[in-house]
Amino acid sequence: MASLRYGRILCAAFVCGCVGAESSARSSGGTLAMSTGGDPDVLVPSLLQTATAGQVIDLVYDRLADIGDSLNVVGDRGFTPRLADRWTWAKDSLSIAFHLNPNARWHDGQPVRSNDVRFTIASTKDSTLGSPAASVITNIDSVSTPDSATAVFWFHARSPQQFYDATYQLPIMPEHVWKAIAPSSWRASEAAKHPIGSGQYRFVRWIPRAVVELSADTANYRGAPKLSRVIWSIAPDFNSALTRFLTGETDLFPQLRPENLREVAKHPELKTQSVRGLSYIFAQFNLRDPGNHDRPHPIFGNRELRRALTMATDRSALVRSVFDTLAVPALGPTLRAYATTDPNLQQIPFDLPRARAILDSLGWRVTTSDSMRTRNGKPLRFTLSVPNSNQARVQLAVLLQEQFRRAGVQMDIEKLDFPVLAERDRKRTIDATIGQWNTQPSPGAVLGSWGIAGSRAASGNNFGSYENPVFDANIDSALASFDLPTRKRYFSTAYNTIIQDAPAIWIAEPKQIVGYHGRLQLVALRPDAWWIHIPDWSIPRDKRIARDTLGGESSPAQPAGQKAP
Amino acid sequence: MIRYLARRLAQAAVIVAIVATITFALIHLAPGDPFSAVLDNPNVSESVRQTLRAQYGLDRPLPEQFARYASALVHGQLGWSFSNDRPVLEVLGSALPNTLLLMSVALVGSFALGILVALIQVARRGSVVDRTLGGITLLFFSMPDFWLATLAVLSLSYWLRLFQVGGTVDPVMYEYLGLGGRLLDRLKHLAPPAITLILLASATVARYQRAALLDVLPSDYIRTARLKGLTESQILRRHALRNALLPIITLIGLSFPALLTGAFFIEKIFAWPGMGYAVVTAIGSRDYPLVIGGVIIGSILVTLGSLIADLLYAWADPRLRGH
Repeated sequence: MASLRYGRILCAAFVCGCVGAESSARSSGGTLAMSTGGDPDVLVPSLLQTATAGQVIDLVYDRLADIGDSLNVVGDRGFTPRLADRWTWAKDSLSIAFHLNPNARWHDGQPVRSNDVRFTIASTKDSTLGSPAASVITNIDSVSTPDSATAVFWFHARSPQQFYDATYQLPIMPEHVWKAIAPSSWRASEAAKHPIGSGQYRFVRWIPRAVVELSADTANYRGAPKLSRVIWSIAPDFNSALTRFLTGETDLFPQLRPENLREVAKHPELKTQSVRGLSYIFAQFNLRDPGNHDRPHPIFGNRELRRALTMATDRSALVRSVFDTLAVPALGPTLRAYATTDPNLQQIPFDLPRARAILDSLGWRVTTSDSMRTRNGKPLRFTLSVPNSNQARVQLAVLLQEQFRRAGVQMDIEKLDFPVLAERDRKRTIDATIGQWNTQPSPGAVLGSWGIAGSRAASGNNFGSYENPVFDANIDSALASFDLPTRKRYFSTAYNTIIQDAPAIWIAEPKQIVGYHGRLQLVALRPDAWWIHIPDWSIPRDKRIARDTLGGESSPAQPAGQKAP
Repeated sequence: MIRYLARRLAQAAVIVAIVATITFALIHLAPGDPFSAVLDNPNVSESVRQTLRAQYGLDRPLPEQFARYASALVHGQLGWSFSNDRPVLEVLGSALPNTLLLMSVALVGSFALGILVALIQVARRGSVVDRTLGGITLLFFSMPDFWLATLAVLSLSYWLRLFQVGGTVDPVMYEYLGLGGRLLDRLKHLAPPAITLILLASATVARYQRAALLDVLPSDYIRTARLKGLTESQILRRHALRNALLPIITLIGLSFPALLTGAFFIEKIFAWPGMGYAVVTAIGSRDYPLVIGGVIIGSILVTLGSLIADLLYAWADPRLRGH
């Protein structure tokens, strides 16, 4: 599924302890070929929406600073220099001055200047561009440029995440390339198809529905990356993409499913690594009547009934059946990867007898011959909608149906095309759905998806219309706290509130399984972006094959034009 | 003949216009829109989606959208592909040659193989060979195309490692190969989808051709040929086959839509960057102009196929020329 990725920052070799400290002037050679399921949508940092586009952008563009492997979002702890080689906080913390690396150059040879930084932020905030990133940089008021090497970010308010907002959300774009193009025309522009960045890889070619290729920027201010070429081999059919990986046509396939692992294991040269992801899966109840949003949902409007359904759900069994060991039961609308998440959050336990007792007490009693519950002649029955393209969610729905049946609850499954489900989610005309939120290193997005504002705004993302001021207040307090223990305490209170209110059954935190050829020497795969350290990956000389040597240490021959061969 | 051609082309234009209108209405009536895919990110607000819809004119009333689309279509423009951020003509223009290549190879291959199988069956009619080939053609005739394609990926590319999977060329190596290497690389990529389509389509051809041959064998001129002392093989090739080809020419016209729609799924499974691949992806992402553009090009191809079949029919059978 497509997901937005804004904040990916390349990690320099000298920063990470796990990678070599040397910064070679030439890449050591080797080609990384990856199987991917789809084309990038657009190669503009402030507009991208797909994972493939995010991967390309993260290697071609640089940010001012890198969040680092700790994924800390408070202050600047853990962040390391990129385009900015240092930064200075104002005394009132309402501004941060970033001092640009004087050696940083765009791939067309122009120097990276503070005007580029100002332009990037201003254009992203321009409503005519329609950037999805605009909503996450609202605290940035403006950027001033006292000189060509200094960009000063001005913020509306002091916030623990203001440094993160300034650096993680957007790579810096070259003003001289984009300023002549009206923002509303960026998507359609040629510049969007031939990006010029400042990262360790240069864009070479993009042949739609076939390939995207990057080559090492050997003159990069951070040094040349180790691999000479990075290639995305595009195959929309999952089995074709997988077969390319299994047959050695590609070196890496990041979307392995649990059922593929046995086949991969037959190839001793192939390895797998699971990466803790930044997403969670949940079965969400619509708390408002789909036919009349002013009324509570006839079934899910009742908190005790929602808790009973949660009690009737053996989440561990669900996760084990569908994901095996490649997911863990979710804790709530949060992730274990967040430093602010208490892994011991109190859960509603799986307790089928108690769930039955609660349903009995609510008047939903088993009166029919098929052991299903009714009240006042109406059956306890609802529909769960799932995207038919997502096998895991369909399997979860089937298992959930069986678990609810044991409690006397009849759940029908409705498999929908994703755009149809999305439309009905937005209009809030569903009973329940199995959803997934792909998040960022900051837990702040939880307000949009589960908070009051997200519920009441017609354009909000809180599709289940859950509202509890206690939850919102604690999230607000947590996000305003600079101190980690305080932040953690507020978040825990908020999460405990929503877990006990049960607007959803928190099902799983899935891991991503990356399959790769053993000749690749990887460094740590980061949860928010497994690809972020690609510039530090390498292939030993004795393990190179034809495609590695053909790439050579120099950039490959520029293909003629952009026409499909 | 010119009047006939002009009349057929005018009919084709009307058909294409009707198809475009129906497709426009149907795809816009389907729930969802091109910007639903960003739904899984909690940071993306509805206002961003609204801006995107406004940029592409999707916030206008449907009749106005249709009027704009129809006006552009009259001027030879198929609109702008949301998912590719390129003109639809450019997207389909780069995809169409790949589809035509695959279709033409499949068309020639399937008719050659189908006719050959039919000839063998008729030459040994009633024998084990006839029954075995009949069984095999029935098997392929009833086999779902996507299933055979998946099986072909597994068998030809994974188990046997004879060919590479997907694309028209090896995206990694192609630029560095010599002329011979490039040609071989192209063939290795073309073979799996082409073989799949040939197997599927040739089964139909073989069954039609066998029936047509059996129909003409009791004819007087065949009996005369036998009396003249010709061998069974000579009779089949020189006399029976020529006269049994007419139904096959009809089948060529019918094969265009069958191959085109079959190629849609085959292209997706083999990652063959043709029209089918582009349109199937566009349907998933609600890329309205690309879907409609694909359908229009498809309907033009089908109409063209039908026209070619009619012309071939008239050419092959002098009795029909006057009609």
